[in-house]
Amino acid sequence: MQIVACYSNKGGVGKTATTVNLAYAFAASGRNTLLCDLDPQGASGFYFRIKPSQKLTEARFFEDAERFVKSIRGSDYDNLDILPANMNFRDFDIFLSHMKDTRSRLKKALKAVKNDYDVVLLDCPPNISILSENVFRAADAIVIPVIPTTLSQRTFEQLLEFFQQHDLSTKRIHAFFSMVQGAKTLHGEMIVELTRNYPKQIMAAKIPFASEIERMGITRAPVLATTPNSPAGKAYQALFDELIERI
Amino acid sequence: MNLTSTNFYISVEQLNNLAISSIQGLTPALEWDENEHNFAILDCFEQSLRKSRRLLLAIDEQVELLTEEGVILSQHVKPNTRFVAEFEEGPVKKALADLSPLRALLTIASGTMKTGTLILTDDEEKTCARAKLQKLIPANGKAVVLVTPQGLRGYDQALSDLTTYIRTHGGTPLTAGNLYRMIDHSCVNYVSKPAIEIHPEETVFDTATNLIATYLPVVRANEYGVIHDLDTEFLHDYRVSLRKIRSVLSLLKGAYDVNQTLQLKMRFSALMAPTGALRDLDVYLLEQASFYTLVPHTMHAGLDAMFSLIADRRMEEQARLAAHLKTHRYKKEIKALVKLFSKKHKLKPGPNSSRASHDLACELIWKRYRKICRLAATINVATPDEEIHALRIECKKLRYLMEFFGIIFPQELFDSILKSLKQLQDSLGLFNDCSVQQLSLQSFVDGLSDEQHRFIITQSVGSLITILHQRQFAEREKIMNAFAHFSSDRIQRSFRTLCQNKKEL
Ligand SMILES: Nc1ncnc2c1ncn2[C@@H]1O[C@H](COP(=O)(O)OP(=O)(O)O)[C@@H](O)[C@H]1O
Ligand SMILES: [Mg+2]
Repeated sequence: MQIVACYSNKGGVGKTATTVNLAYAFAASGRNTLLCDLDPQGASGFYFRIKPSQKLTEARFFEDAERFVKSIRGSDYDNLDILPANMNFRDFDIFLSHMKDTRSRLKKALKAVKNDYDVVLLDCPPNISILSENVFRAADAIVIPVIPTTLSQRTFEQLLEFFQQHDLSTKRIHAFFSMVQGAKTLHGEMIVELTRNYPKQIMAAKIPFASEIERMGITRAPVLATTPNSPAGKAYQALFDELIERI
Repeated sequence: MNLTSTNFYISVEQLNNLAISSIQGLTPALEWDENEHNFAILDCFEQSLRKSRRLLLAIDEQVELLTEEGVILSQHVKPNTRFVAEFEEGPVKKALADLSPLRALLTIASGTMKTGTLILTDDEEKTCARAKLQKLIPANGKAVVLVTPQGLRGYDQALSDLTTYIRTHGGTPLTAGNLYRMIDHSCVNYVSKPAIEIHPEETVFDTATNLIATYLPVVRANEYGVIHDLDTEFLHDYRVSLRKIRSVLSLLKGAYDVNQTLQLKMRFSALMAPTGALRDLDVYLLEQASFYTLVPHTMHAGLDAMFSLIADRRMEEQARLAAHLKTHRYKKEIKALVKLFSKKHKLKPGPNSSRASHDLACELIWKRYRKICRLAATINVATPDEEIHALRIECKKLRYLMEFFGIIFPQELFDSILKSLKQLQDSLGLFNDCSVQQLSLQSFVDGLSDEQHRFIITQSVGSLITILHQRQFAEREKIMNAFAHFSSDRIQRSFRTLCQNKKEL
């Protein structure tokens, strides 16, 4: 099983949009996939029309593995389940350690319902600084959307520093440019510069700024499910293809 | 991941009605795929799959098996595969291992299929439950939809609501109903050994007539399969039923007028006569694989040559029998016999006809059993084959008698005796097979004229006969043991109890 975290210190960079589409792509490739919506805003669940569950707001439900499994919801798509939002940080920490431990009660509970997962995607909320380190240690891949602006460059570099300070391998970092606007020359310059400086961490696939992605709020479905042949759809597919090559 | 539950079938109208109004607050919708597929429902002649609550569908080049537990297994299958043994390895083949390897899979219904989904959504248009739909549109018969509810994780309530709704709105669980009948009302259920009801007071005349009237349709039901050479069991069942009818005539002595009995025996023997040659060749071919394992590799070329000759002869013989069964003369005769035993008024009562059949049964079974015990007592290593053969025939007669009258005896006692008899018959059967095979292999070789391969065939058959002889010898000892058990005090007491209401025993 692989854990893929979509992470950025900043909000509004396209983490949720990316996680939702990547999760869809993983599932469509035949992998049994769980998307964990870790953002209290619950946007991933929203895109899959899943109502936030009452049970999930109860404190420390992770201590009860069966209840955790019960709160998982099947999406409308094959192989794709969602764990809706609202997990407190403490639960999140326990969740990660259990997901990694094959003998944990959580794993056993998943197996009991014949549903261990090939891939677990984490849609991380911004500013989870206290727990960042745990996410970084648990995840096999950390996917980082970077808007090609000076501010985003600074944030990205801070993240790399954090990795180095904490003895974490930067090999697991897979950054990509998000919300790219072809017309903006600044975007073009930033892309060239960052790619030159961090060739190992930055992927070739870029997600354009696209109305289809904005419209996900209305269609309430991944772009890859509704308009796979649109430029945005193709971009997400390319991102997925490149990512599985790397991990 | 989807969780499977009960499978249902439902008429097209009822399915459409299902999707009209909301189900526990959820909105139903039907979606059909554009594509059409070819489908066939497959089952053996006895409908073993339906009776074991399974459904086998061929869809294009796939086979799908719906198990009793509601699981759907599927695998690829080559076109025109007729026997499970011919399937490539896969989950369906594995799950069908219990079917008789001799039985062909026949097409119960075939036509086009459309797939679709029944979807239940909530007020956010989130899917909460689905059912996979397979609309079967048979070339002949009524269209029907297979419905397989599929739950989504975390929406158990919706799944159970959907399942209940289907059940209460015209859906029949696949394991409870008869889908074949729904498609085709005239789809008949074939039983090779029909249960026969005999009342304790019934007369010998009535019992004999009932038995024959019950077996005759079994004979007729197998004609089609013999003519079209669907599998070898059709001819086998055809012959067994005729043989049972003859046994009724000879075992239930005096049921009919002596002359009429004699005539009937001749008529049934005449029906049997043209079937023997083909059955013998079938038996050879069924033994083919085991013959190969009996002789060393160097002898295989001879067997190849022999079996290819046999296969040719079988084809000729099959064509001959098929033609015979299609003749006006045959049809007229078999219809006349059916009429004779269903109308009954032309049957002439014989000396025993008004006796209670239960009394006669007890008497016959007891006599036959005593006779077998007497004969068995003399068996030793030197007993000639013919005597063992005679014993085998006696046992067979006893077996038929017991089967004819099984219904009127107490079940438990009867079953325990039958088990012991079956064991004995198994050994006798093996012994007899070995001996018959040796003889017929010998006569096969003798009958080879200047045919090609004569030399290598003779060589291989020689080696085969030697081995069969050894086997037969080994079986002899088992027969002696089985007889010892069969004539033991315990079994004797059981027989006595079974037939006890005859005071003179
Ligand atoms: N590539 C894109 N093009 C246009 N709009 C986007 C793109 N990616 C995300 N958005 C929109 O931007 C907003 C924030 O995106 P979101 O994925 O929720 O970011 P995050 O999860 O990082 O906070 C959403 O309204 C989303 O529809
Ligand atoms: Mg988000």
